[in-house]
Amino acid sequence: MESTRRGEALREEMELHVAEKAAELQADGMTPECARAEARRRFGNVGLKHEESREIWMTRFLSELGQDVRSGFRTMTANKAFSALAVLLLALGIGANTAVYSFMESILLRSLPVADPESLVVLNWHSRPPQEGSKEWVHVIHGVQGILWPGDNGALVSGMFPYGAFETLREENPVFSTLFGYFNGLTRNLAVRGQAASASAEYVTGEYFRGLAVSPAAGRLIDSEDDRPGAAPVAVISFATSQNRFGGPPNAIGQSVLVDNIPFTVIGVAPPEFFGVDPAAAPDLYLPLHANVLGDGGGAARMYGDGNFYWIEMMGRLRPGVSMAQAQAVLVPRFHQWVATTAKTDGERAKLPALILNPGAAGLGSLRRQYSKPLYVLLTMVGLILAITCANIANMLLARAAARRREMAIRLSLGAGRFRVVRQLLTESVMLASLGGALGVLFAIWAVRSLTFLFSKGQENFTLHAEVNWNVLGVTAALSVVCGLLFGLAPAIQSTRPDVMPELKNGRGGGPRRRAQHVLVVAQIAMSFLILVAAGLFVRTLNKLNSVQLGYARENILLFSLNARQAGHRDPEITTFYADLRKRFESIPGVSSATLSQSSIISAGHAGKTYRGTMKIGAVTIEGARVMTAGSRFLTTMQIPILAGREIDDRDQPGSTPVAVISERLARTYLGNENPVGRRITLVDDKRDVEIVGVSANLRNGGLKNEEASAMTVFVPVSQFSPDLVTYALRTAGDPLRYVKSVHEIVREADSHIPVKNVVTQAAEIDRTISRELTFAKLCTVFAVLALLTACVGLYGTMSYSVTRQTGEIGIRMALGAQRGAVVWMVLRRVLLLAAVGLAISVPAAMSASRLVKSLLFKTQPNDPGTMALAGVVLLSAAILAGFVPARRASRIDPLAALRHE
Amino acid sequence: MGRKAQKNDSLPGSLDMLILRTLSLRDVHGYGIVQFIQQSSDNELLVEEGSLYPALQRLELNGWIDGVWGVTSNHRRARIYKITAAGRKQLAVETRKYAKLTLAIARVMGAE
Repeated sequence: MESTRRGEALREEMELHVAEKAAELQADGMTPECARAEARRRFGNVGLKHEESREIWMTRFLSELGQDVRSGFRTMTANKAFSALAVLLLALGIGANTAVYSFMESILLRSLPVADPESLVVLNWHSRPPQEGSKEWVHVIHGVQGILWPGDNGALVSGMFPYGAFETLREENPVFSTLFGYFNGLTRNLAVRGQAASASAEYVTGEYFRGLAVSPAAGRLIDSEDDRPGAAPVAVISFATSQNRFGGPPNAIGQSVLVDNIPFTVIGVAPPEFFGVDPAAAPDLYLPLHANVLGDGGGAARMYGDGNFYWIEMMGRLRPGVSMAQAQAVLVPRFHQWVATTAKTDGERAKLPALILNPGAAGLGSLRRQYSKPLYVLLTMVGLILAITCANIANMLLARAAARRREMAIRLSLGAGRFRVVRQLLTESVMLASLGGALGVLFAIWAVRSLTFLFSKGQENFTLHAEVNWNVLGVTAALSVVCGLLFGLAPAIQSTRPDVMPELKNGRGGGPRRRAQHVLVVAQIAMSFLILVAAGLFVRTLNKLNSVQLGYARENILLFSLNARQAGHRDPEITTFYADLRKRFESIPGVSSATLSQSSIISAGHAGKTYRGTMKIGAVTIEGARVMTAGSRFLTTMQIPILAGREIDDRDQPGSTPVAVISERLARTYLGNENPVGRRITLVDDKRDVEIVGVSANLRNGGLKNEEASAMTVFVPVSQFSPDLVTYALRTAGDPLRYVKSVHEIVREADSHIPVKNVVTQAAEIDRTISRELTFAKLCTVFAVLALLTACVGLYGTMSYSVTRQTGEIGIRMALGAQRGAVVWMVLRRVLLLAAVGLAISVPAAMSASRLVKSLLFKTQPNDPGTMALAGVVLLSAAILAGFVPARRASRIDPLAALRHE
Repeated sequence: MGRKAQKNDSLPGSLDMLILRTLSLRDVHGYGIVQFIQQSSDNELLVEEGSLYPALQRLELNGWIDGVWGVTSNHRRARIYKITAAGRKQLAVETRKYAKLTLAIARVMGAE
């Protein structure tokens, strides 16, 4: 910069001086070395002199800055209304950006809190889709425990591997110093000193903590000795768990705890900041991988030997000096060789998974996959809002520059450099922006809290914790300065244009400025339209979701889950236990009926233990139906009409005739007009038949967004399907949450080892499946209103200003007989022209940009013509409204007064 | 700033005046100014060479002199300074002040 350039020039000058002096001394007969030394000695301390000179310019710079700041402050206080409005708009704009950026920082940019996170890599694989080219599932994956997610071009991507792959890659690995594995242990019942509560568990291999380079807060961590079949069952707990359940890390060490009724010894406590490898989770409990055999039995033991069962996830730490690409080059053939041995058919061989390494510094990508797109969309929107704000303030400054033209002319004529005046104006705008930024940070802190609340809406264990940290504050500060320069530069340059001066002297014209103002107004209109369209699309999506027919009651239902099996209850006693509990809940005063099922209906598609295999009626396979296990009085509690026969009730016991209730569409589709009652459905995989005893009305079984969610449902008695986790539903009078206390008392009485989980109303349970859409619709509506208001203020300001400028012209027109209507039209025509130009620019932009949010919409086309038209109408109406006030003022101009002024 | 007393600058502020005076005769670079002052004072006045540059910076910022990159008599790249109109005015002011001051001192010394 300026001072660096100056500093270098000065140094060069001083060097030259010493050199010339030395040359002179040498000419007087000194040796070159002596001459140089003597010259330096005489000159004195070069560095010190340099410092002194620098001080001279810095003092100057600071004193000028002081002047500018003082003068800026005077200008700001002289125009209180303008300054307050500008600071407020900026605070909203910068604050919104800061808030969204805090989320991006915490989700997309933050590293795991472990040593050297950059050397961690996540192992994934991708392959062609299993159902490509055939209806049947053809793939080396015969079973999974975890998630597969779609990659590009329909490819299958996953982070899960068979245990054999882990063992193969772990042996003599030349590229990793450690390779470690883990898998989600889901929710477990953790009993400490007889007190049960649910805890999330992570199964980890013996290399896990060593590979992550984590040191314990107390005790020791799981190592290879703990992770082998038959080892003593040990557990590491999270720091928070040690505090909540033991009263501090030291107290936990050596304690015996029950995990799903199996005794484990706590050997260590993880450090406070550690949350595992997935920012979306925060395990309370870390168990050795092989300990899953203790809890999950024979099925778990088989997982270790099955090369076609995908379940373990892996991360590696690169050896020093090895790049991720090198590691990939080494491991891909090794994995390929191994996985080829697990393929049984040519079809499977044709689409073998291929290994890919991904950076692991930020941990697993589930949060990134889930939130990165919504966050980019939000960031774009708040970015647009800030741009509109800047354009608006630039516009106001341009108008104000006219008012200050005398001040500028005086300054320039008194000999102030143009640069100096521009600098002063820029200082003023950066001051405005900084004030806005400071206020914006306060706004952002509030916004981050409310956004976290909106995003988390009822989700338990919500781990998305954004905060306004130093990194974020730095970005905000930079953003404020950039904004200040952005909206200050054009007006500053414009108002100090030397050639404008004489023109300004007689007070008319200002052509270039008006053009600049028009450009800014058009830009604001165009950007507002984009935000309006986005808001329209998201609100429409929400409406579509809210208008989905559920077919069951949404209000006045309390849901909560219990898992008696994890507390040691077994068949067949567990079904009586659940049935007795149901009766007790039903006896709570104010509860009209109670029932239980595998899960809530909205999550029945993917949660809970149920039958998921093939079903047949006679020889016909039933396609697209779901089985849901339900307890007595399910249809009554959920207010699903019973169309024929009976619903599942207390007659249906583990030993009695297996029965089913089917939904109307299933009956119509597969049995036509026959009476379904008495017919049988074969559950092929379970090798048993169930007898249809009733028909229910259709209901939506599964999520609102799920296209596959079907109206075809088979209800079977939960008592006949060996339940583990069940969800109770209570139909209540008044607010369902009033009954939570009674529920807790009843469960504690029945068995104090069973924690009550996921207590939520049916309405909230449904809403949390669409929390993203709710959030988007709300936020975007706020954004759209904000953008529209800002743009209207800009339009109003510009039109008022130009009406004032044209007072003379309008006066002449009116004196010559122009009607008031014609004058109004003259002004409005310009407003409409500006709006039309803005729309002409942004309609194509909206058409192409909205395609990017397609995946966030539901039953709504990205370029939905209705939404576009509505946004256009709203924008035009707002523009006309903003233009009408100045237009009316123009029509009230007294021709005589106007001409006299002239 | 706590600078130590300047070696041959018995009258504070006189360095600025000497520089302006030098530049009012011809445009030279930093080293040339030192040489000129020494030679024209018959080596009575020895400018502390390092102090010259902060002084030049100060004068330039005040708008009294102007430095541009040029070439010295022995063909080396250097910043050549010239006096501005404002600098000439300042020189006149300082010369008057200096004359007054020396006269006053002479009176004091003569009165003894």
